[in-house]
Amino acid sequence: MTGLIALGFRAIDHGLLQGASLLVPARQRREWCREWYAEMWHVRQACAPGCGSPWRAERNVTAFCLGAFQDAWCLCRETQRNEVQSAPLHSSAGQCLFCLAAVLAVSYAFALLLPEVRAARDPLRYPVKSGLILLKDESPDSEAKPTIPFKQFRIWSAGKHRYFDGFAFYRISRQSVLAGAEEPSRWNVAESSSNLFALLGIPIRLARAEESLGGNSAEAILSYKVWKNEFGGDPGIIGSLISVGGVQTRIVGVAPERAWKLPGKPDAWLLKPDYAIPADAKGHVVAHLTHEGRSKMWADRVDVTVYNPDHTEQDFLGVAFDEQTPGPREIYWFSVLLALLALPAITSVSFGEFSVSSHKPPWPRRILRWAYLLAKLAVLLPIANFVSLDLAYGHASQHSSASEYAQLSVCFLICLFGIRWALLDQRQRCPVCLKRVVHPAQVGLASRTFLAWNGTELMCTGGHTLLHVPGLPTSWFATQRWLYLDASWDFLFVGPKAS
Amino acid sequence: MAPGANSEPKLSHTAAMILQAIHAGYVYGFSVMEMTGLPSGTVYPAMRRLERDELIRSHWEKQSIADAEQRPARKYYKLTAAGKSTLEASRKRYPLLERLIPSEEAKSV
Repeated sequence: MTGLIALGFRAIDHGLLQGASLLVPARQRREWCREWYAEMWHVRQACAPGCGSPWRAERNVTAFCLGAFQDAWCLCRETQRNEVQSAPLHSSAGQCLFCLAAVLAVSYAFALLLPEVRAARDPLRYPVKSGLILLKDESPDSEAKPTIPFKQFRIWSAGKHRYFDGFAFYRISRQSVLAGAEEPSRWNVAESSSNLFALLGIPIRLARAEESLGGNSAEAILSYKVWKNEFGGDPGIIGSLISVGGVQTRIVGVAPERAWKLPGKPDAWLLKPDYAIPADAKGHVVAHLTHEGRSKMWADRVDVTVYNPDHTEQDFLGVAFDEQTPGPREIYWFSVLLALLALPAITSVSFGEFSVSSHKPPWPRRILRWAYLLAKLAVLLPIANFVSLDLAYGHASQHSSASEYAQLSVCFLICLFGIRWALLDQRQRCPVCLKRVVHPAQVGLASRTFLAWNGTELMCTGGHTLLHVPGLPTSWFATQRWLYLDASWDFLFVGPKAS
Repeated sequence: MAPGANSEPKLSHTAAMILQAIHAGYVYGFSVMEMTGLPSGTVYPAMRRLERDELIRSHWEKQSIADAEQRPARKYYKLTAAGKSTLEASRKRYPLLERLIPSEEAKSV
């Protein structure tokens, strides 16, 4: 056999042993490789002179190297068997935290991806100018229905008032809009008095000085959503013309995102001069209160009586829309508080730290145990926040009270049952190794509770502790107790103690 | 006392052969293979199981000895006390074992 072929065989043998070594756990690999290579040397020595054919010698060496795979495979199977036996559903503290962190990551990712959720949790929502009220008819079904005719608005805005210093009008209708595309689309268009945005104090984005607001021709302000979706956020559309209901209208600006707090969800606002709005058109009226007018407010509401020219009276209700409604953050903290208050009703808030003897685990272990509980809670609470936001606002097209109730309910339930689980889990974790105690064994008879001990005993698989849980709490054994196992128990457990 | 400590583990014929070979002075893997005629894929896993069960124990020879003989260092195996008593029990179970692999004492008689 030529030297080159022998070299080739040696490379194959080397490759086989290296390949087999990959099946061996890293910590044992070096030792195993050393033994295999040492043994292979002896195999080669033994085969070389007496095997007759060099091919046969190489075949024997290769057969030896293939045997290394069986050797390593046996170890693999044994390791897997041990892992299956020792790591069932009673996960380690690290695994538990990892799972919670994964849930948190998923819920946070949804909160980031869903635009409605992103909008709901945005702390910098556009502030509402103070002193603004929405005038409504006093009938109960006029919550979001436009009820005030434009001619009424004209009378109010033409007169001088003690309690009001400004009025604006708008009404929303579906209109066909042709904006560059061949096919017209249907938008919610708010026909409004030209002073609407000035009264609301909402600055118009991208408005140019030459595109004057309140002129004689119809002007349109786009909603942020339409500007992004229909025009790709192009700033160059300002000044261009679109057809709204067959009327050529100039785009003069874009409303800031989430600045609109009034009823309806307009895609665009048509700022029209007063003569261009029909007198009988019914819409919403926004009014701005003077300082004196604000003093008449009670619980963000004010009753308004209007004396008509025909000497009749008409009652309206003014509702402030800068009223302090709770945001998602306030709802979240409120539901956390509610859950903490309700917790003692569904579980014991004890941490089950009692020991049968005076023995206690060392300080670092106790600190680690507390840190584990705090870590669970620290991950659970944000999970409750993000999951409740995802569920409550993920589908909602608008920030509504139904969404708020949904957030409150979901967050409350997750907090309540999450904290309950965290406490139950904590009570069943060995104070030494933080593994869950397993193999529950019923001890004693329930009928003898008051004469002898009756309850469940659970064992730490690491051999550190035995947990006694009373079947029926008594005055002399009210809560669970830990028994710290000494060295005399070691023979029951496989492998050395992890502590 | 640990449960089962007084009961001897029952070995397969192969494991008993390997134990007997080590007892007979074939103290490293390849020599056991040669003596028993078993392939490496059988001998090594069996030896590791025997070591895990504390019937044999291993140690590496000194590198200086191996260097002097110009070969890699060997891993030697030796029977433990438990291994010896298990082998005794296995010999009763497999009477031909000792004749297949005679120990040093048997050879010298």
